[in-house]
Amino acid sequence: MAGGNSILRRGATRLGASLSAKLTLFYAGLFALAAALILLGAQTGISAYAERMVASEMAAGAKVFDRVTTMRYAQLGDAGRVLASDFGFREAAATGDAPTIASALDSLRGRLDLDQAFFVDIDGRVTGFAGALRPAEAETLRTALDSGANSGVLRIGDQRFNAAAAAVEAPVTIGWVVFANALDGGEMAALSKLSAIDLSPRIVPLGELPMGMSLGTATERPVAGERMLAQASPIASFRSDDPQALLLEYSLTQALAAYAPMLWSLLICGIVGVMMAVAGSWLLAKRITRPIRALDAAARRVAQGDYAQVAVETRDELGTLADSFNRMVDDIGERERQITHMALHDGLTGLANRTLLREHLAMTVARPATDRKQALFCLDLDNFKVVNDTLGHPTGDALLCEIARRLADFVGSGFVARLGGDEFALVIDDHQRPLDRIAHDLIKTIATPCMVNGHRIVPGTSVGISILGVDGADAVTLVKNADLALYRAKHDGRGGYRFFEAAMDAEAQKRRQMELDLHDAIAQGQLSLMFQPLFNLAEGRVSAFEALLRWNHPTRGLVSPVDFIPLAEDTGLIIPIGEWVIREAARVACDWPDHVRIAVNVSPVQFRNPGLNTVILQALAETGLPAGRLELEITESLFIDNPATTLASLHSLRALGVRVALDDFGTGYSSLSYLRSFPFDKIKIDRSFIIDLLGSDGATAIIKSITSLADALGMETTAEGVESAGQLDILREQGCSHIQGYYFSRPVTEDAVAAMLDKPIDERRAANG
Amino acid sequence: MEGMKIALLLAAATLFALPAHAGNVGIRVVDSTGNPVPDAVVTIHPAAGVPSGPIRFPWANQVIQKNIAFNPGTLIVPVGATVTFPNQDKVRHHVYSFSKPARFELKLFGRDESRGYTFKTAGAVALGCNIHDSMSGFIKVVDTPFAAKTNATGGTLVEGVTGGKAKLTVWHPRLRAKDNEAVFDLDVPATGEIAKRIQIVLR
Repeated sequence: MAGGNSILRRGATRLGASLSAKLTLFYAGLFALAAALILLGAQTGISAYAERMVASEMAAGAKVFDRVTTMRYAQLGDAGRVLASDFGFREAAATGDAPTIASALDSLRGRLDLDQAFFVDIDGRVTGFAGALRPAEAETLRTALDSGANSGVLRIGDQRFNAAAAAVEAPVTIGWVVFANALDGGEMAALSKLSAIDLSPRIVPLGELPMGMSLGTATERPVAGERMLAQASPIASFRSDDPQALLLEYSLTQALAAYAPMLWSLLICGIVGVMMAVAGSWLLAKRITRPIRALDAAARRVAQGDYAQVAVETRDELGTLADSFNRMVDDIGERERQITHMALHDGLTGLANRTLLREHLAMTVARPATDRKQALFCLDLDNFKVVNDTLGHPTGDALLCEIARRLADFVGSGFVARLGGDEFALVIDDHQRPLDRIAHDLIKTIATPCMVNGHRIVPGTSVGISILGVDGADAVTLVKNADLALYRAKHDGRGGYRFFEAAMDAEAQKRRQMELDLHDAIAQGQLSLMFQPLFNLAEGRVSAFEALLRWNHPTRGLVSPVDFIPLAEDTGLIIPIGEWVIREAARVACDWPDHVRIAVNVSPVQFRNPGLNTVILQALAETGLPAGRLELEITESLFIDNPATTLASLHSLRALGVRVALDDFGTGYSSLSYLRSFPFDKIKIDRSFIIDLLGSDGATAIIKSITSLADALGMETTAEGVESAGQLDILREQGCSHIQGYYFSRPVTEDAVAAMLDKPIDERRAANG
Repeated sequence: MEGMKIALLLAAATLFALPAHAGNVGIRVVDSTGNPVPDAVVTIHPAAGVPSGPIRFPWANQVIQKNIAFNPGTLIVPVGATVTFPNQDKVRHHVYSFSKPARFELKLFGRDESRGYTFKTAGAVALGCNIHDSMSGFIKVVDTPFAAKTNATGGTLVEGVTGGKAKLTVWHPRLRAKDNEAVFDLDVPATGEIAKRIQIVLR
């Protein structure tokens, strides 16, 4: 039980953890994704913005440089042209007056704050250059000037200048004045200050630009682990053979580093947001799953058989689910009740069934004893099978329902059940009336005629009663004993009731034992035949023997056929026993003289068995006994149940060639119409008439009428149970053709038959008489 | 008009001094792209030496300032010739030369005021005006009678050049060479004519 609980708890936890965790994970993941996207977007945007910003600063820087230098070139050029057009200077230049030239340049250099002011004549001689100038450099300078160079960045040695030149014409060009300012670090730094960011401007020869750089556009490249954005812009170059470019560089990594705090704070916001989303969705999931857990717990309780309802708290889908669940539980309960009802009740009549009867009995017996007596009444309907067979099952069922209704009315606060078929049982106490009175009233109630499906039926019943606690302490015993009492009641004649008695049980036991013994008797050869002769009065000799069955049990001794034949008929053992009798009789009789027949009794059960004809044929064939020497004796009772079938069977037996005799004539529901409908070979007059012969004249008249009738129909007559000469005389007088009885001979063994046939009995009898 | 004048001058020169063994040299001066170069001065110095005696050219030794320009723009004069500079403009001119063969300044402030300068050394003299920077003119002082300047088509004919080997010098103020001169060897036929195509590189 503890284990079961822990499983339940684990199941509930798993459900909660699973769904809650899933929801939480989902929403947290969603939020994290959104935050990551925002962060990514911000970073991408910032990066793109920074790149654009840097690139635009670079473009602006390049333009500023361009403007500044253009202005500078214009100033330098103007100053140069002023000097170059000065007549005195021109004269000095034309006449190669180097000291004058140098002094003029010196003076201007000081006044205009120039770094260089020198004169290059048409032949490449340089005057006034501050510092040393190699001849090759002078020559390249001259060549550049000669080909029209007038301004731009000029590289001399490892120094760069902003230089502008003006031609000295006298009036043909005799040389050039070149004014220049050094493009040193200070100059570049000053230029750099013009931009919002430090683009670290540098002048580089075009040929020395990093690979992959194109002029005018910003290009990104990695430098020492940093993202460097660089842009090279073409600038005016003094010498066309030495093109220069302005290289602006800026580290994007540094530019982006400025935005790092923003990105960090975004990231922190995102993390805090994710944590809040986790907490929020966890709480939400908890709220959502709480009713689910309640449903789960309720479902488990229902599975264990409890009736569990869930309180509907919300009007959402979960509320609807809880509502449906409750309805389902109700429906299951209803169905369970139905199934239980079906299991414990009879489908046709709605009464309790045998199972419920047993439960009821067990419950009642288990209750503390009171002074009231409670009894179990078992009953079944008389001839219900006939109703079913003749009026059909629907009518039979309707009759059962009618009876059930009557019993339900009758039983009042008691208990009534249908045990199956036409069997019913009631449990009633003697509070209102004594038990025998109840039984009496019960039979009367059942016996009231009724109309069922247009048929008028008069039901009948017998009742067996066992008293709770007295005739049994458990349901099985009580029902068994009531059944025994019922059996006895029926045996005693229908329409009565019997209380159970201990003897009934003993008798039943005995019966059962005898049934077992009888079963063994066939196999173990305990059965034997005795033969009683039938004397033909006209011929004066024995004309036949009746085969009589004997059972010699090892311990019981000789058992009377009266005791075991009904049992054999009840159990069906009469079929093999009857078969054995016919074979044995045929075997014995086949050795007898031709005029001596063998008579064999055929039980109604045996007669209705379709195998009878085959058994007879086989017996005749095996023994060689002529069919005409076998006489079957049947009783009138065969005609009661189904006369038509009986007649058909009789005719088929007659077709085999055997003789048929009507046994015990006059005892049952004798009807002369039988005699008309079937030509019996012989009528055997019941011994009761013979006993009366000596004391009653009426008996003689009956014998006479029977023999007259038989004569008229061409049938022989045999008087049974003849015990005295007086009887014999009357019978002979009244025209009876055969006699049988102790007077003539008791039943004898097979061996004695031969002796009797050797020595004619009539002689002996006649001699004695 | 000009052609006829030149033809007349040439005819006159032929009448005056026709040496016993002399040939005519036809020169065509073109630049590096093949375009004719006008106003290039061609001088020939025969190996046998130039003829003795004064050198005369059939044009006036005069550079007129008119319409803020020197006319002619290029004048060939023999060594020792005195060139006059009449001012025919209403404005003043301040003619100067810083060239080595002749350095002078002539302040010609009045209309029709004319001054002269004698060129004693052979060479190219660049003329300018200190007032008008755009004014530019050249006087080529030569020491040979065999000199001429190319016409608009870049051609010129030097007649009666002493036969035999000679040095041909082409001068032009924009010729890219020292002293704006280029020198070529030349075989002058005793009689008849030789045509020479000279290609020079200009600034």
